[in-house]
Amino acid sequence: MADTTPQQQQRRSELRYTLHLMRQNPIVVVGSVLALGSVALAMLSGLIVNPAAGNVQDLPLRLCWNNPVTNWGIHNLYVCPGNHVYLLGTDAYGRDLLQMIILAMPLDLEIALTIVATAVAIGVGLGAVAAYAGGLIDELVLRVTDVFFSIPGLSLAIVLVTFFTHSLFWLTVSVLITWWPTYVRLIRSQVLSEKEKPYVEALRSTGAGRVRILFRHVVPNSIYPVFVQATLDVGGVILVFSVLMFIGFSPSPLLPELGNLAHAGIENVFIAPWLVLFPGLTILLIALGFNLLGDGIRDALDPRLRR
Amino acid sequence: MVFVLFAVSLIVFLLARGALPPETALAPYITPRLDDAAKLSLAKSLAVATQSCPSWGAFLQHQPNCLVPLWEQYAVWLQNVLSGNWGYSLLPGISGGTTKTWDVFAARFAYTAELAIAGAVLTIVVALPLGIVSATHNNKLPDHVSSLIAIAGYSMPIFWLGYLLLLVFGVYIAVPIGGYSVGLLPTNGAFSTTCGACVNSPGSISVYTGMPVVDSLLSGNPGYFWNALVALILPTITLSVSTLGALTRIVRSSMMEALRQDYVLLARSKGLKERVVVYRHAFRNAVLPALTISGLIFAFLLGGVVVVEYIFSWPGVGSAAVIATTVFDVNFLELYILVTSLIIVVANLGVDILYAVLDPRIKY
Repeated sequence: MADTTPQQQQRRSELRYTLHLMRQNPIVVVGSVLALGSVALAMLSGLIVNPAAGNVQDLPLRLCWNNPVTNWGIHNLYVCPGNHVYLLGTDAYGRDLLQMIILAMPLDLEIALTIVATAVAIGVGLGAVAAYAGGLIDELVLRVTDVFFSIPGLSLAIVLVTFFTHSLFWLTVSVLITWWPTYVRLIRSQVLSEKEKPYVEALRSTGAGRVRILFRHVVPNSIYPVFVQATLDVGGVILVFSVLMFIGFSPSPLLPELGNLAHAGIENVFIAPWLVLFPGLTILLIALGFNLLGDGIRDALDPRLRR
Repeated sequence: MVFVLFAVSLIVFLLARGALPPETALAPYITPRLDDAAKLSLAKSLAVATQSCPSWGAFLQHQPNCLVPLWEQYAVWLQNVLSGNWGYSLLPGISGGTTKTWDVFAARFAYTAELAIAGAVLTIVVALPLGIVSATHNNKLPDHVSSLIAIAGYSMPIFWLGYLLLLVFGVYIAVPIGGYSVGLLPTNGAFSTTCGACVNSPGSISVYTGMPVVDSLLSGNPGYFWNALVALILPTITLSVSTLGALTRIVRSSMMEALRQDYVLLARSKGLKERVVVYRHAFRNAVLPALTISGLIFAFLLGGVVVVEYIFSWPGVGSAAVIATTVFDVNFLELYILVTSLIIVVANLGVDILYAVLDPRIKY
C-alpha cells in the first residue's frame, strides 16, 4: 500500500508508535499473547477436536484421572483404565476434559464478542444521539441508564434468566441487557466535550447535516475510550456468562461451555477437583489476556503518558 | 431515587407476571388440601384472576375473561408492598412451611450484610496500600507486581477462587481431630464447630442483629465469636479479591494524577519528607475520585455475594435468590432486587454527601 497523503503517513507512524509503546511493556506482551492465543485456539478448535465428542458419553470412564504428574492426594482416586493418558482427567460423562475445554472456547468467545459488539452498537448509538441532541432525549436516556446502574449486573441477569427460557439466546440477551448502559455513559461524556469543538461549528457552516456531523465526524473522534473499554469487557462478559452457567442456567448439562463444565463438577468436587479447577483456570487466562491487553492499549493511547 | 426503585420494581414485575404463566404467582399459597373453588377464590382475592372468571379450569386455560391486565395487577401489588405486605415465599423459613417473604428475607439478610461488610473492609484495607505503592513506584517492579495482582484479581472467576480456597483450606490443609482428619477452616456456612481452628462446644448466643459475629460479641461469648469469625475468612477473601483489583486500579490512577499536580511539586521543593508529601498532600486529594466509584464497587460486591454464598453454603439472601430462581419464587426475587438496588442508591447518595463534606470546593 503506497502512502498517498501526508495525513495517511502521519496516521501510520502514530499507529507504529503506539505499537512500539505497547511492545515496551512486558505485561502488555503477555496479555496480547494470551488474548490472541485464546482466539487462535478457539478458531482452530474444530480442527483439533471433533465437535461430536461433546455428545459422546462413556460412563466406565467417568471422573477418572491418570496423568502421572499428580494424584491430587485423594486416596480413592479412580485411575482411568486403558493406555490413553487423559491430561486433565475426564468429566462426569466420561468425556476428556481437555477436549471439552478446547471445544468450549469458541462458544465462550463467540458469545462474549457478540455481547460486547451489540452492547457497543446500542450504547454508542443511543449515547451519541442523546448527547448531541440534548434536552428531553438526553434526560430520558440518562434516567434509563441510572436504573441499570443501581442493580448489580449479576443479580439482574440471574433474575432475567429466570423469566426467560434457558436457551443460549436468552442467556446472551440477559447479559446484554445488563451491559449496554456502560457504553452510553462513556460515549455521552466524550461527545459532550467533542461537540463544542470548532471543527463541528465549521462543518455546520458548510451545511453538513446533523446525522452526518455526528456519525461521520464526532463519533469517530470520541470512540477510542469505547474501544479500550470493549477490550476490557470481553473478559468481564466471559466471567459473568460463565458464572450464570455455573449457577445452573445451562440449557443442557452436556453443553461444552466453561461455566457449565465447572457446574457439572460441583457435586464431585472432593473426588474430582479438576472438573472445577481447569475450566475456571481457562476462564482466568482468557479474561486476564483481554484485561492486560485493554490496559496496555489504554496506557499507550493516553496522551499524558505518551512522549 | 424513588424513580429508580419504581422503575426497577416495574421491570421485574412485568417480566415476572408477563413471561411466566399467571398461576405461578399463586404457587406459594396453594397447598394440596385446597379444592378448585378455593384456588379460584384465592386467585380472585390476589387480583390475578378476574371476578367474572367462571372456574379454576378456565383460569388454567388462560381464557381471556379470566386474565387481569398487567397494569391492574401491578397497581394491586404496589399497594400491598407499600403497606408492607410482600406476600408469601416458597423458600423454607426457619420453622418450615409457608412463610412470609419479608421474614425469610430479613432473617437471611443479616448474614449477607455481615459478609458484604467484611468484604468491603478487606477490599479497602488491601486496595489502598496496593494502589498507593503502585503509583509511587510507577513503572518499577512494585507497580508491575501490584498491577498484576489487581488485574488477575478481577479476571478471576469467583467460583474458581472459591473452590480453590475451599479445597486448599477445607481439605488439603487438614488437622486430625478425634481420629478424623478435618479441614483447617470451615467451608459450610456462617457457623461451624467441626474444623481445625474451631472451638468445639461454644454454647449459644442470643439474637440481637442476626449477624453471628456481632451477636456473639454482644452476648459476651468469645468461643462463639471465634467460630463465627473463622467461618467468615474464606468467603470474605473470595468475595473481595475481584473487587479489590478494580479499586486498586482506580486508587493507582487517581494517585498518579495527584502526584503530577503543582502542589506536590511545591511540597517537595519545600523539602517535606516524601512520606508527608504522599500521605498528607497527594493521598487526601486522590481519595475523592476513588470515593466516587465506591457505589459501583459496592454494587460489584453485592453481585459477587450471590456466587460466594452459593459456594460456601452461606445462609444469606444471595444463595436464597439462586434457589428462588429454580422454584420461580417471584415474591422473593422482587424483594431481593429491590433491596439490593435500594442499598446501592442509598450508598450513592451517601457518597455524594460525603463528597460535599470532604471537598470544601463543592457546595450544594
